[in-house]
Amino acid sequence: MDPKFIRNFSIIAHIDHGKSTLADRMLEACQAVEKREMRAQVLDDMDLERERGITIKAHAVTIWFEKEGVRYQLNLIDTPGHVDFNYEVEKSLQACEGALLLVDASQGVEAQTVANAYLAVEADLEIIPVLNKIDLPHARPDEIAEEIEHSIGIDATDALHVSAKTGAGVQKVLEAIVDRIPPPTGNPEAPLRALIFDAVYDEFRGIIVYLRVVDGRLAKRHRVEMMGTGKMYEAVEIGRFTPQMKPTDELTAGDVGYFISNIKRLGDVRIGDTMVIHKGPKVEMLPGYKPPSHMVFADFYPTNSGDFENLREALETLSLSDSSFSFEPVTSEALGFGFRCGFLGLLHMEIIQQRLEREHDMDMIQTAPTVTYRVETKSGEQREIHSPGQLPSADQYEHLYEPIARATILIPSEFIGPVMQIANDHRGIYVRQEYLSTTRVQLVYDVPLAEIIYDFYDKLKSATRGYGTLNYEISGYKADNLVKLRILVNGSEVDALSSIVHSEQADPRGRAAIKKLRKEIPRHLFEIPLQAAVGGRIIARENIAALRKDVTAKCYGGDITRKRKLLEKQKEGKRRMRQVGSVEIPQSAFLAVLGDREGSK
Amino acid sequence: MTSVAPGTPLYVHLPFCVRKCSYCDFYSVVAEGQDIDGVLDALLHELRLRAPERPRTVFLGGGTPSFFSVDQLARFFDELERCTGFRTASEEVTVECNPESLDADKARALFELGANRLSIGVQSLRPEILELFDRPHRVEDSWVAWEAARAAGFQRLSLDVIYAVPGQDLAQWERDVATLLAHGPRHVSAYNLAFEEGTRFTRWLAEGRLEALPEELELAFFESTRRLLAEAGLEAYEVSNFALTGHECRHNLNYWANGDYVGIGPSAASKLGRTRFGNARSLSSWRAAVAGASSGLASPDWSETLTPPKSLGETWWLGLRTRRGVSAHAARATAEWSGSDANDPALALARELAAQGWLTQQPAGGWTLTERGLPVADAIARRFLDVEESVRAPVEARE
Ligand SMILES: Nc1nc2c(ncn2[C@@H]2O[C@H](COP(=O)(O)OP(=O)(O)O)[C@@H](O)[C@H]2O)c(=O)[nH]1
Ligand code: SF4
Repeated sequence: MDPKFIRNFSIIAHIDHGKSTLADRMLEACQAVEKREMRAQVLDDMDLERERGITIKAHAVTIWFEKEGVRYQLNLIDTPGHVDFNYEVEKSLQACEGALLLVDASQGVEAQTVANAYLAVEADLEIIPVLNKIDLPHARPDEIAEEIEHSIGIDATDALHVSAKTGAGVQKVLEAIVDRIPPPTGNPEAPLRALIFDAVYDEFRGIIVYLRVVDGRLAKRHRVEMMGTGKMYEAVEIGRFTPQMKPTDELTAGDVGYFISNIKRLGDVRIGDTMVIHKGPKVEMLPGYKPPSHMVFADFYPTNSGDFENLREALETLSLSDSSFSFEPVTSEALGFGFRCGFLGLLHMEIIQQRLEREHDMDMIQTAPTVTYRVETKSGEQREIHSPGQLPSADQYEHLYEPIARATILIPSEFIGPVMQIANDHRGIYVRQEYLSTTRVQLVYDVPLAEIIYDFYDKLKSATRGYGTLNYEISGYKADNLVKLRILVNGSEVDALSSIVHSEQADPRGRAAIKKLRKEIPRHLFEIPLQAAVGGRIIARENIAALRKDVTAKCYGGDITRKRKLLEKQKEGKRRMRQVGSVEIPQSAFLAVLGDREGSK
Repeated sequence: MTSVAPGTPLYVHLPFCVRKCSYCDFYSVVAEGQDIDGVLDALLHELRLRAPERPRTVFLGGGTPSFFSVDQLARFFDELERCTGFRTASEEVTVECNPESLDADKARALFELGANRLSIGVQSLRPEILELFDRPHRVEDSWVAWEAARAAGFQRLSLDVIYAVPGQDLAQWERDVATLLAHGPRHVSAYNLAFEEGTRFTRWLAEGRLEALPEELELAFFESTRRLLAEAGLEAYEVSNFALTGHECRHNLNYWANGDYVGIGPSAASKLGRTRFGNARSLSSWRAAVAGASSGLASPDWSETLTPPKSLGETWWLGLRTRRGVSAHAARATAEWSGSDANDPALALARELAAQGWLTQQPAGGWTLTERGLPVADAIARRFLDVEESVRAPVEARE
């Protein structure tokens, strides 16, 4: 197809602003799917995604739109909506020439939208502001247009007004895509270069590679090579998403589609890699491949220590379909054998943990996440620290560095005071402040990533009654006065409960952790002392009183099974408990060192 | 159903009550408007189908068995005699009675029909507590019923009471215990009030209309009850049961020994060998099942298989509730656990807990809870119930 008739675009939107609904409407308008067989929101297809309302993995769909008698091929490339998946967003945007900036006209711009819009601006995309939900009586399209101009710095005077719900304005959106987004510029006659912007694991077909052909053509049976990995494959099947996978014989410059070979592991494919013809003419690699960088680490231990091998298998299987987490065996004095896992961020961690539990039926204890620290030893050697246990004793190192995040916070202006307070409490350093409209403010702070993981986001949400949004990116490492906060249960240190904190926060955080542990650890037949310490100095202590009375009054023949089940049910929680010494510690307690959150999720 | 060994203890559940007490989670239905004779017919039918011959003990529980009229009771006992020959075979025949429905005529009738032990649901000597319980009787009624039972000739009588009620005063309860003892009972069942799932009490607790007593106070009630009754010669022979020597309830002792039994009536459970199973907790489902059973279609509402490891944990749990305690050897026999002292996980646990002062071994060899262990019997029970799992995964050692 002549690239002149192709438009590649994605939709940048905050959760719930209507991306899926708008995509549905567009597909419907172009009859890509029959209305009656339309499952609501065809683009999100993983259970977890549906539940969480986020798109974890990018997807793509090709639709055909006729304008003034000309048929255009519109490729909608879906982008994940969360900061953890920033790199995927970047790659997806790189495969486009334009983006719809979709904003809920009753809510306004959110931090994440701004961050992704910046990425689109950087990638030189044509941005079309679209104000959704104008059917709502409290929609404020003009005010929101102004917010867009202030926060992103693009002209929003001709923003489109739509209601994805009623379909009003959707036709205009399709027309704007054709009129305003430039066609791809690649050369169909040049040697093949295709950008791999995503890949997903399919149980039956192996890895499905999502690609954008930048130059040249890719035909079925072609032998190709990935420039980054040097791996060679044959194009067993290529095709487009309509949204079902529909094979074609050829994809040419400007096209978006998929590629299937016999690729077994997702780890074999790099997002951002360049696909070329094997032994073809020399071409330049497309810019921008980066290996996944793990900002958050946590340890997983099987609840039942006999399940260590099963956990390994589960992690291996999971890594077929998610190549962006890492795992390596670790040993904890308290918890035995487990795995230290690295994640793109907190959400990514939760997703992996839930998938292990749901898809692999694993019962695990997960430690509180920690960020990646860097330590410089006396001998000048630099090392990464992925858990408090790895930290050498204080006299062994010169400096301890922690990752700093540049945090962009969008809030209604009435909350400025409390939010600045929260930022200060979390060691934030003020960078700037900007009014987006009379009622909304953007604050920028440099905050240690550890603080964001601790409870910054939860605090922000509750202080702003849910209206505050946060986005961040890692801006560098900084040395600070950090110490190890040790937690002792029944007299012995439990490494998995320890954490690294700023020395000035050690006291309050130690007290908070001990208080939380007191609530989370069930009473035992004996009294359990809990202590928090920095080095040898005890900074907080509490006791869990011994059980005094715990006996069923009535127990006769008709009751025995029922009463036993009751006793076992009280034990049930134990499925997620680990015995540490003579104390049983439930999963929820391991997250106790994580700020003011209510229990585990 | 497999044939049942003659002598197996028999329980019959008579499900009607005048009204539903606010704390009660037994299966019972308010009698008004119910087809009582129809239910009685179904009970008799189930007796014919399943009652063991010559049961060692018989226990009529409920509900309120004394709610049945003299005529209805006569029909019941006569049929029971025809099916089982209990009048000559059973050493103990207990009927649970409530004060509002036990008068002189009924007491005499029960005695003549073959009962030899009554358990009277006094529950409290405090009018305000009876009111909170929503009981249909007054304090005085309990003593009228008590005298009627004695006059009818019953030697073996028990009083049922509940303590540690929200707002209850310990000193006052101690006086109530003295009043109880003044009537000369040889058996008392005294229960710490429990908030059972699905009861009005539990709802009130959740709504904040009731407040449970603090743990320390409950413990004081528990200990003082044991002490006062023991001083009067009524030793605790189980967590909540107290008797003069020889007056223990043998039927219940069999439960705590994890022995076999047959239960008849709605909600009743049976244990036969490695199976425990039960009837539906619903009059209509139970009646349908009983009707189906005659055409060979019956299956219990639920059942579970007691594997040797499960049964071993249970046997220790139940046995430790009693003064008699548990002999490791006998527990293994009950549980059909083939093994010896050397590889008995329950015995190993008993030794571990004994070293910590929770259990002790009697000179005769039986293991019992210590005075310290008794109030936390459930926490200890959970350890024994864990034995099942430790047996399932014996290889990996705990660090
Ligand atoms: N009133 C109204 N509701 C909408 C509109 N578009 C989407 N919604 C609703 O907003 C919610 C979020 O939409 P969805 O498409 O799932 O958002 P996504 O998270 O961005 O994919 C859903 O309940 C939609 O029904 C609209 O134009 N008007
Ligand atoms: S009389 Fe007994 S069985 Fe009936 S409702 Fe009251 S406590 Fe329950």
